Amino acid sequence: MKAVIFNGAKEGDLTINAIEKNIADQLIEEGWNVEPIELRNMQIAPCVGCFGCWVKTPGTCVIDDYGRETTGKAIQSDLMVWLTPVTFGGYSSELKKALDRIIPILLPYFQTYHGQIHHKMRYKKYPRLLVIGVQESGMDYEETFVALVERNRLNFRPPAYSASVFQRGENAEKIPAFVEEQLKKVEVIS
Amino acid sequence: MSQPRNVLLLTASPRCERSNSHVIGKFLADKLEEKSLVVEEAFATRLVKTCEGTEKLLGSVDNADVIILATPLYVDSLPSSTIRVLELIHEHRKAVSPTKTQMLVAVMNSGFPEKEHMDIALKIIRNFAQESNLEWGGGIRVGSGMALNSEPLDEKKGMTRKLTRGLSLASVNLSEGQPMSEEAEDLASALFLPLFLAKSMTRLFGGRGWNKEAKENNAEAKMHDRPYALARARL
Repeated sequence: MKAVIFNGAKEGDLTINAIEKNIADQLIEEGWNVEPIELRNMQIAPCVGCFGCWVKTPGTCVIDDYGRETTGKAIQSDLMVWLTPVTFGGYSSELKKALDRIIPILLPYFQTYHGQIHHKMRYKKYPRLLVIGVQESGMDYEETFVALVERNRLNFRPPAYSASVFQRGENAEKIPAFVEEQLKKVEVIS
Repeated sequence: MSQPRNVLLLTASPRCERSNSHVIGKFLADKLEEKSLVVEEAFATRLVKTCEGTEKLLGSVDNADVIILATPLYVDSLPSSTIRVLELIHEHRKAVSPTKTQMLVAVMNSGFPEKEHMDIALKIIRNFAQESNLEWGGGIRVGSGMALNSEPLDEKKGMTRKLTRGLSLASVNLSEGQPMSEEAEDLASALFLPLFLAKSMTRLFGGRGWNKEAKENNAEAKMHDRPYALARARL
């Protein structure tokens, strides 16, 4: 089993780094192969909205950088983890630059799904999705953040998913139990 | 807020001038210019590529009384480049105390017909405004945005009648220092077709449009390719 972790933290984010390490440790203990990716260190140009990944080189981004590789890493994993500081209720630009580049895992064609128009799926199977946002103390964006992940779920259709927010400044000793709870939600540990 | 004077049209689409975001924002900005407001245009994703450009952008934000943020929807949220711009503006405004009341309005568009796809992204922009000491002036959600084909709205005639009327109404509110009225938001966010028809057309003609573009690129036969498919183990 393979897990890929897209870490959208800024340099020196001790809380997100601790969460990433805990996820990796717990999964490795269960026999998983884990690949953490510190997105801030990767050459990933922003998506330019050219749709080349749909109509020129279907399934592959036309920009030749690490962003192209993220599509393969996402679809070839059994569990995809997104870590981010909660940014105005959503994802950091570091995480989002990778997510914008993985749209070729979908087809451009449209269908009605859950009553709304969405893109059709390109692949037969998609990874489970675990999303954790770390929120600054005093902020209360959990509802928006969870709703955003729910929207992503409708597009990427993972077989299981979890969205949660960890409050920065909370006792770091709580992280292992918090991570364990999230991994159970996506049914990768029992 | 008091009578505004300076308007910044901040187009945050990576497609810059060629974007639907820009043509919608430009129509609103032009209406404000007709009311004697001074309009400056900035293409955010281009400017933030350099330190000099970023400084210029932040200066323009500081100078504006009304900021029109025009952006598309990417993967249920804002494009990474738009988020980066908001992060930079937020950092800047934390360090510099605002000297006047400023208002932010959002003009969003998406290829999906349902405007609800943009609700979360609009909330994110509103949260940004609150955290950055900007008054919220309202948001417009334009569905089926690709039908605009990045052409000026007044050239699209009947198709954009509700949108242009809504934006014109919004310009009256904004020129008086008021947030957009609910009527302006609703009118500008209304589809040019009944929703059931727009959904059917998106499914049918959307697919044909993609196939046509693929054909022009000799990629029609590859549209359903799965370049990263593996024989995947199951849990």
